[in-house]
Amino acid sequence: MLSPTDPIDPMIDIVDLCKRFTKGKETITIFDGLNLAIPRGDFVAVMGPSGSGKTTLLNLLGGIDRSDAGEIEVAGERLDRLSESELSRWRASHIGFIFQFYNLMPMLTAAQNVELPLLLTRLGRKERRQRVETALGVVGLADRVKHYPKEMSGGQQQRVAIARAIVSDPALLLCDEPTGDLDRTTADEVLSILQVLNRDLGKTIVMVTHDPAAAQYAKRSLHLDKGHFIEKELVA
Amino acid sequence: MRSIMLQILAVTVINLKSLPQRLWLSLATVIAVGLVVTVLLAFLSMANGFRRTIADSGAEDIAVVLRSGAVSEINSVVLRDQVRLIEDGPGIAKGSDGKPQTSGELYLTVNGIKRSTGTKASLPLRGLGPQGPGLRRGVVMIAGRMFNPGSNEIIVGRALGKEFEGFELGRTVAFNNTRWTVVGIFAADGSVFESEIWADLPVLQSLFKRTGAVQTVRARLTSPAAIETLRAYSDNDPRLKLDVMSEAAYFAQQASNTSDLIQKLGWPLAIAMAFGSLAGALNTMYSSVAARATEIATLRAIGFGGFSAFVGTLVESLILAAIGGVIGAAATYLVFDGFTASTMGASFSQVVFNFQLSPRLIGQGLLLALAVGLFGGLFPALRAARMPIVAGLYG
Amino acid sequence: MNDLVLIRKNLFRRKLRAILMMVSILIAFAIFGVLASFERAFNAGQDRATPDRLVVLNKINFTQPLPISYYNRVAAIDGVAQITHFSWFGGYYQEPRNFIAAFAVDPENWMKLRDSDYVFAPEVRAAFIRERTGVLVGARMMEKWGWKVGDHIPISSSIWSQRSGSHAWDFIIVGSFTARIPQADTNVMLMGYDYFNETRSFGKDLINWLALRTTSVAANERVIDAIDGMFANSPYETTTDSEKAFNKAFAAQLGNVALIVELVVGAAFLTILMIVGNTMVMTVRERTREIGVLKTLGFSGGRILRMVLGESILLALLGGLPGLGVALLLITRVRDSLMSFVPTLSLYPDIAAAAVGLMVVFGIITGLVPALNAMRLNIVTALGRS
Repeated sequence: MLSPTDPIDPMIDIVDLCKRFTKGKETITIFDGLNLAIPRGDFVAVMGPSGSGKTTLLNLLGGIDRSDAGEIEVAGERLDRLSESELSRWRASHIGFIFQFYNLMPMLTAAQNVELPLLLTRLGRKERRQRVETALGVVGLADRVKHYPKEMSGGQQQRVAIARAIVSDPALLLCDEPTGDLDRTTADEVLSILQVLNRDLGKTIVMVTHDPAAAQYAKRSLHLDKGHFIEKELVA
Repeated sequence: MRSIMLQILAVTVINLKSLPQRLWLSLATVIAVGLVVTVLLAFLSMANGFRRTIADSGAEDIAVVLRSGAVSEINSVVLRDQVRLIEDGPGIAKGSDGKPQTSGELYLTVNGIKRSTGTKASLPLRGLGPQGPGLRRGVVMIAGRMFNPGSNEIIVGRALGKEFEGFELGRTVAFNNTRWTVVGIFAADGSVFESEIWADLPVLQSLFKRTGAVQTVRARLTSPAAIETLRAYSDNDPRLKLDVMSEAAYFAQQASNTSDLIQKLGWPLAIAMAFGSLAGALNTMYSSVAARATEIATLRAIGFGGFSAFVGTLVESLILAAIGGVIGAAATYLVFDGFTASTMGASFSQVVFNFQLSPRLIGQGLLLALAVGLFGGLFPALRAARMPIVAGLYG
Repeated sequence: MNDLVLIRKNLFRRKLRAILMMVSILIAFAIFGVLASFERAFNAGQDRATPDRLVVLNKINFTQPLPISYYNRVAAIDGVAQITHFSWFGGYYQEPRNFIAAFAVDPENWMKLRDSDYVFAPEVRAAFIRERTGVLVGARMMEKWGWKVGDHIPISSSIWSQRSGSHAWDFIIVGSFTARIPQADTNVMLMGYDYFNETRSFGKDLINWLALRTTSVAANERVIDAIDGMFANSPYETTTDSEKAFNKAFAAQLGNVALIVELVVGAAFLTILMIVGNTMVMTVRERTREIGVLKTLGFSGGRILRMVLGESILLALLGGLPGLGVALLLITRVRDSLMSFVPTLSLYPDIAAAAVGLMVVFGIITGLVPALNAMRLNIVTALGRS
């Protein structure tokens, strides 16, 4: 078990996880018996060369891809036992995704983009608006409510994406190269926000990156290579 | 000049080579244009066929005499005295026997059953004298023989026999409590007379209680111009409240209402549909321009002019539309040309006619298709010509 | 914001494209509205006729006459509740092209028979029975020629002439009437048979047909047999049919209008269906990545399916409803000029309802493939993350 502590209540618990892809006649094995435990409140940077399985890991953690064997438990739910529609519902309440290219809806304003996940809840219009304001406040964009993505800089767009990820108050944030498309200064701003979310709001964060500077913001880093974690805990 | 032509050629080739990427959308446009042309040509060939069948039936040197205001034969009544006065009128050709070549005729309608639908339809039953058939062009018996004067015999037009049941050679038909035998089938040069049943005038008059009057008088004129003489003669005699017109004019007027109606229905429908498919063409061409943004920008960057981008796009659009037009015309030709239909003519009776496609009509269909292509390509072509090079190169 | 906002925003993301599609849908539904109304008006006679109405015609053809003596003989048949006779006047006003649909009837019985179609004021009823030279003119014919009650109007006949040799009759308009049901045509003129019969120079004591109502539909068969049996082997044999069947057969003689309408509407819809369907597929394909994101956020496949279908249905409605409006406008504009050809042309509510139903179906058909594609979309592929 690759765990820093012996978690009593792990956010993520992966046991003997296997994942293979078939491309044509070839079968590529990404994971063959992967184990991982991440406690609640952790902020982990996952690093590794391309093809090491970082993104696949994130997809599996977020329940947007299925494993072939092994156990995967995230936020108290065995993902390998859930159906597609159960996974959808589970994602809506437990996971916030942040992508490298923000993936905002171009035809929606910042506020509307942030509001999207709330359409999956039973919240009323008023409460939705409050939540959106709060989320945009957290990322420091309270004044950009009515702006469309194309009217904002990359950093601003990524902050909107972060607001979208936290608006329904998920416990786990999954970030895929969140600063990969940003310059240093902007990247630092975005990473600071993630740090605040982890430290002050108690969000568990798993961030895939190959930027060592970005990894510095995490509590610890894991190195993935050829489907295995090869080093542990560089940073405390 | 040569350089511009080469540029245009290069752009056009690039456009056409990228067509498979938008195969379904382009195909939808082609078929949409094809359907528009098919609808237009179906209507036009129907109108054309109807008009030609009726209008070509009339001769310039035959006069038709009707009661004034009667408009069509079925309404008309011409009394025996009036018939005599017309026979003595000027401008009427004499036969070898020295008698004027005229034919007083009765025009009745009787029920028949349409083969294709099994529904009842009104068919014209014409009573004519011995000179009657001779006043019509190309009347020949193609089966059986002419009816005998004074007998309950009828002969049937070729087109009518094909479209309606019960008039096969040798069959007996009951009208008015009397039985009639079909003794012959005649052709009349594809004219409207082929949609009629003919019988001996005196027999019809007595069996239908119409003795003493006919409905129309036909007369051979000494020349087409003699119609004026005959008309003047009729107008000046207070006993003759009659309309005198050439048979050609009579049929032209009979045909025009229906064929106008068909055309008036066909063109607006086709134009409305053309606008609908124009939307499709515009969509296709805009996506074509968007899909080729990089290629166009690259060409522009190495020195191609905006004009070639413009023409190249327009040509693509025109080619798609032209293919659609050709498909539409071919479909109309295969499906509708020669298609036999019948409708109610001006005298409440059925006229059998064929859809007739002509090169002129095909030309009109293709023009409509090209118009769709032109307008569908114009604005996207302008966009292609004006596209900023940098935006195209770097997405 | 709700799903509808999202759907609307998606639809209008490319404004030009959305508008173009709407225009083509608009045209298809305008064509549908106009042609369906034409077809309906054309077959109005069938819809108007109730099943207990029969017509008695000359067996040879409806243009052949019957003797007036048949009127009383048929009226006496058991099972005949109401009856009138009709004679075709073949009228025109001033010029032969100003066609006037005019019939000579038995005034009192004609009004009784047509009470369910038209509204007759009591004084109008009395005047038409009383005035020998009076005519009753329907509201639309009055309006068309600008006539008023009390006007003297010369109506010419293209068939008949007076004993004086004149083709024109002078009539006094003694009253007008309106339609009780929308299918009833009021572009007609009625005159008393007695005056018409006495003044015409030939065709005396002949009529064109009888129209009657039976005591019940169940009696139809018996009444038909009794009438046609009574006149079998006489010089004027009859054929009795339901008014509905006769009107249908008459309309059919113009050709298969329904088939033509179906073909054209079919072609128009096929055209638009292909264009819109293909564009929808393309539109949704362009949005693959966004759909992946929505799914990542927790939107279920079913919800995404509904959103895409909602978009295509919204598109169909936004194009189709104005299309119906255009149809209504066109019909209103051409109604008067086509009054004599299709007298009861109108966009009936059930045609409009059918059109709205068709719009939804159209929306579902054009959206189904892209919606299924979107629903089945694999998130990992959609986001380009493998």
